[in-house]
Amino acid sequence: MSAHEERAANQGSGPDPGRASWARDLAMGLRFAVGGGREGWIRTALTAVGVGLGVVLLLGAASIPHILESRQARGDARVAVNGDRPVKRSSATLRYADAGTSFHGDPVRGALLRPDGPDAPAPPGVHELPHHGEMVVSPALKELLASPEGTLLRERLRFKAVGTIAEPGLAGPGELAYYAVSDRLAGEDGSFRIAGFGSRIPPRELPPTLLVLIIVACVVLLMPVALFIATAVRFGGERRDRRLAALRLIGADRRTVRRTAAGEALFGAVCGLLLGTVLFLAVRQGIGSVTVWDVNAFPGDVTPSPALAALVAVAVPLCAVGVTLVALRGVVIEPLGVVRSGAGRRRRVWWRLPLPVAGIALLLANGQVGTGGGTVDPYLIAGGAVLVLLGAVTLLPWAVEAVVGRFRGGPVPWQLATRRLQLSSGPAARAVSGITVAVAGAIALQLFFSAIQGDFMKVTGQDPHRAQQDVTLPSHDVATIREMVARFRTTKGVRGVIATIESTASRPGPVRRGEDFPPSTQVTVGDCASLGELAHTGPCKDGDVFVVKDSTGMVDTGYLFKTARPGARVLLNQDIRTGKPDGAPRTWTVPRTARVVGSRKDPSGQTAFGIFATPGALDTAALADPRARAMVRTDPAVADAAEYVRNTAARIDPLMDVRTLQNLERDKQFGSVRTGLLVASTATLALIAAGMLVTTLEQLRERRRLLSVLVAFGTRRATLGWSVLWQTAVPVALGLALALAAGAGLGLALLRTAGKDIFDWSVIWPMVGGGAGLVAVVTLLSLPPLWRLMRPDGLRTE
Amino acid sequence: MTPEGSLLVAEGLHKAYGPTPALDGADFSIHPGEVVAVMGPSGSGKSTLLHCLAGIIAPDSGTVRYGPHTLTGLSDARRSALRRTDFGFVFQFGQLVPELTALENVALPLRLNGTKRKEAERQAREWLERLEVDTVAQQRPGELSGGQGQRIAVARALATRPRVVFADEPTGALDSLNGERVLTLLTDAARDTHAAVVLVTHEARVAAYSDREIVVRDGKVKDMMAGLI
Repeated sequence: MSAHEERAANQGSGPDPGRASWARDLAMGLRFAVGGGREGWIRTALTAVGVGLGVVLLLGAASIPHILESRQARGDARVAVNGDRPVKRSSATLRYADAGTSFHGDPVRGALLRPDGPDAPAPPGVHELPHHGEMVVSPALKELLASPEGTLLRERLRFKAVGTIAEPGLAGPGELAYYAVSDRLAGEDGSFRIAGFGSRIPPRELPPTLLVLIIVACVVLLMPVALFIATAVRFGGERRDRRLAALRLIGADRRTVRRTAAGEALFGAVCGLLLGTVLFLAVRQGIGSVTVWDVNAFPGDVTPSPALAALVAVAVPLCAVGVTLVALRGVVIEPLGVVRSGAGRRRRVWWRLPLPVAGIALLLANGQVGTGGGTVDPYLIAGGAVLVLLGAVTLLPWAVEAVVGRFRGGPVPWQLATRRLQLSSGPAARAVSGITVAVAGAIALQLFFSAIQGDFMKVTGQDPHRAQQDVTLPSHDVATIREMVARFRTTKGVRGVIATIESTASRPGPVRRGEDFPPSTQVTVGDCASLGELAHTGPCKDGDVFVVKDSTGMVDTGYLFKTARPGARVLLNQDIRTGKPDGAPRTWTVPRTARVVGSRKDPSGQTAFGIFATPGALDTAALADPRARAMVRTDPAVADAAEYVRNTAARIDPLMDVRTLQNLERDKQFGSVRTGLLVASTATLALIAAGMLVTTLEQLRERRRLLSVLVAFGTRRATLGWSVLWQTAVPVALGLALALAAGAGLGLALLRTAGKDIFDWSVIWPMVGGGAGLVAVVTLLSLPPLWRLMRPDGLRTE
Repeated sequence: MTPEGSLLVAEGLHKAYGPTPALDGADFSIHPGEVVAVMGPSGSGKSTLLHCLAGIIAPDSGTVRYGPHTLTGLSDARRSALRRTDFGFVFQFGQLVPELTALENVALPLRLNGTKRKEAERQAREWLERLEVDTVAQQRPGELSGGQGQRIAVARALATRPRVVFADEPTGALDSLNGERVLTLLTDAARDTHAAVVLVTHEARVAAYSDREIVVRDGKVKDMMAGLI
């Protein structure tokens, strides 16, 4: 057999020459990446760091289901169940009362417990119930109470901290929570008896519009990450191509060098995957100490879903190989050098334009949904959003090429920049593709947010300008109530208290024909200032009485006048159950001078009517079962006025409910989604900025020698600085214009899906401005390295 | 001692990169219209001498005088301005700006000097004709041969009518035929415009185009005509 025949036979004897050559070339690429010297390592490190950062975010996103499930499970496990039937007292029961408060705007979850016996159950995370006057606290609360910032809260929670609530009893490591034991809990203070903790509360189903929002948000946040990974895989590509040219010189064919390049990228991506996993594990350990937009989680909660983690592990290396092979389609690597064929071949628009059009069509195909109902097909919505944003990304290189191709002349920096873009617009377009997607997505989401937020905001009717806190006083004893009100009035930072004592007055005598029970009405006693907040009393002095009509129209004035009218005699101590006086009848006559006036919404949004009397006209001691409310006006100049009020309330009774008055109340789920979006978009924007910076520096490094030459013949720094700025600004301006179009298109389609026609243009400009600002920051950060690269050191290699 | 009528004079130049001295008390002078070949083996300090003379880098000690100016005492901005107006440069690989056409590359130094685009391009076209590369005026460097690229680089160096042209291995990447053509065009054009040429090379045949030769070895300069170190 001749040598030639022997070679041919050997070549044909392999199991699968195609697969074998793939494996061989990929392996060669891996060897290049490992043994490619300093240059090779820099390239691998850049790719690995870029991919690693992307992997951290992807694994973070893949952990969200587990974070939510864990929080939900721990939340369910600590619910004190108050069933329909009362629990019988035994040695294994305890009394429970919610005693939550808030401190500097942060909620403090709290409960008072009173064990009925030695076998009383302990809440999750609590090893043993403390004794009377003691409490167990969460680590975050313990830290706060021990710090100078917690002084005012220490005054409020005057129990001795004897232990710590462990992880199973907390929503997150940053949660402020406590369980205190008090043997003063009784039956009439709002507490109830339980035999154990834990209940499966079915999660509230998400309204369809919120579901649409979440799906689009996931797409918007994860697409830039995918783009970033695709960009990271191409870091240092030009230097790699020059090395591959050397391979061609020693006989490698084009397919071989492509596969070798893919192998090199694969190695970088796998390193990135490993680095990302290590970084993710490291970040996860420290995650408890970081609270972003009020959200934190235990390290154990941040566990990626196995299926999603597997998808990341497979998709990232595949993406690396795919992106490399696609990128090399525009490059001809010849034995004597590299030719980029991109400049000669014009980009086509015909295959790019149908992508966003198809995306909009998919979104509209879903049909309309609303807060009340409608079906959301997640695949249609996600697919539509992906196609619209992908369309923006694919249109960008075409748009950049088409626009910069028309530029002629201009000053030197402009000419240098535009000529560079004309020669090769791909890298510049790639660098801004992330920001294009992010801004387009943000515009769409903001449009959608602004249109649907009205559905998730409730107008409470409260007026926080007239009073800031609403307190329900627990006592039924007038003397005690007066003393409590006096304590609020003397609290630091309190400017005034709207305090009233309420009871019931009824018509004396038997029930008449057609009546089930004697007509009755509310009696409200307060000083003139307080009554003026509840009714249009006009001029008022102590001793005055008013008959207040219900101006809401709910209660008929005729019915009201059966009891409350000037000159009428009323019974003040009627027993509601029997309709008869409770003891000796205590009657009182409404003075004939009483004025009939209209009611007015009080600062808490409630409307009271009936008989309004000043203390000089009606002795409150005559009232049966008096109830008291106080609305507190605080001084905005006193920073912690609200905390002083809460401390006063806690000193009077730890269970006293203090509500902060607010005119708008946001739906909790809507608020959570908005918070989640803010957290994720912060991380995505940081990633985009890092990617842009690396890409810009990479391009500058590639041009190091040229920059030195330009400096040698006297080019000013400002000329080169402006040239870099234009080179970034032109694609960014085009990218933002595309983002505006794609974002508005996606937003409009989503609004139509939600059946909304509110299109608020004002929300768009901050997004565009934010994108432009990010680019400005990146350009500024790239200037110091540019100045360094403009040193003449680059000439020394001549 | 400064030779009478010198345009550019360097005295006692010292320059070290870390612990390695590149220039160790080097002296140099050149007259207007003179072509001086700076020869020496690789790593001898030829390019460092050229960079110091052109004010691209500052020597650690010693002085460089250009006419009434002491370059070593000027700010970076003033030295950059001098390089724009009075000096021209040719490097081994041309180092043309790849995104600009040949015409735009030649016009670039003029435009950096403030000449209007149309006027700069008119003058650039004249230089391209003179260097026999006007047919490739609209092509980019990637589309040119090595010889064409180097002629464009020479045209770019001469376009501002500099008083000194610094050429660092201008034919190092060319075959002998192209190299000779480029040198002929460079030296002829320089003599026509009365520009001095500092020609760094390690090839004896290139040095043949010069009026005078100096040799740099271990950071010291030897003038072959004066026979002095």
